[in-house]
Amino acid sequence: MSINVAKLEGILQNLVSGTPDVQGAALVSPDGLPLASTLPSGMDEERVSAMSAAMLSLGERIGNELSRGEIDRLYVEGDKGYGILTSCGEEAVLLVLASKAAKQGLLMLEIKRVTEDIKKALG
Amino acid sequence: MSMNRKELGEFSSIVCFKAVVTGAEEALGEKAAAITLISAGRNRGKHLAEQLGLKNGMPLADIVPALQKALGKDGTRLCIVDKLEQTDESIKVYCQETICSAGEPQGSPRKLTFTLGAIQGVLELVTGKRLRGKQIESVLRGSSHDVIEFETIG
Repeated sequence: MSINVAKLEGILQNLVSGTPDVQGAALVSPDGLPLASTLPSGMDEERVSAMSAAMLSLGERIGNELSRGEIDRLYVEGDKGYGILTSCGEEAVLLVLASKAAKQGLLMLEIKRVTEDIKKALG
Repeated sequence: MSMNRKELGEFSSIVCFKAVVTGAEEALGEKAAAITLISAGRNRGKHLAEQLGLKNGMPLADIVPALQKALGKDGTRLCIVDKLEQTDESIKVYCQETICSAGEPQGSPRKLTFTLGAIQGVLELVTGKRLRGKQIESVLRGSSHDVIEFETIG
């Protein structure tokens, strides 16, 4: 069945425009291919996608090797902001980019909500 | 100016390529290594298609001879692309002597990664669509060809 890319793009657009300090988002397939994205200009969608899927997979391996259990989120914090990778079931990986000013509680709630929407959209 | 190897020339052994693959799998895990190799292959495929002058919209049948020349015996020897079948839903590519399957014992579960990505990169440029590739047959598991099926995403 074909994926409704327009619907996924809409979900990501709403997340980025409707959540304070969220700067971008991308949805990628577990094998690293871009499905939909709203990324800051200058970011290469293809590279971001491969990197995100590889990173989540590596996180899963770390979780397994280091007995951390099942991983459902990876969190990268830099001095300019956050990059959060969340598994959306077997079909997709969600990357959310937020500035340092983002309220983490709000961000996590939004990611949880959006993840459910994406799972529904993917059927 | 790029560095040329006067004595050793352009080619390296499959043994070294396999060591890169298995080493990456050891460090990153099979899945992350596969994502990385497929991604590297897609980049290679896109560059190759540009170098060969393949254009968006050209008939897929026309790209087989170009791929045979570029990737086969007279090219980089990544694999032999025997044929390509297109249906409404998918594109199937039949390959032989792929570098990914080379040196593997019969029955090995190994799948195509870099080879799959390279062909995907070429097809994405020619079709102008995003594709998802899946290996559906393997010479390591009783088939005469390594067959990859590509479906359009979205």
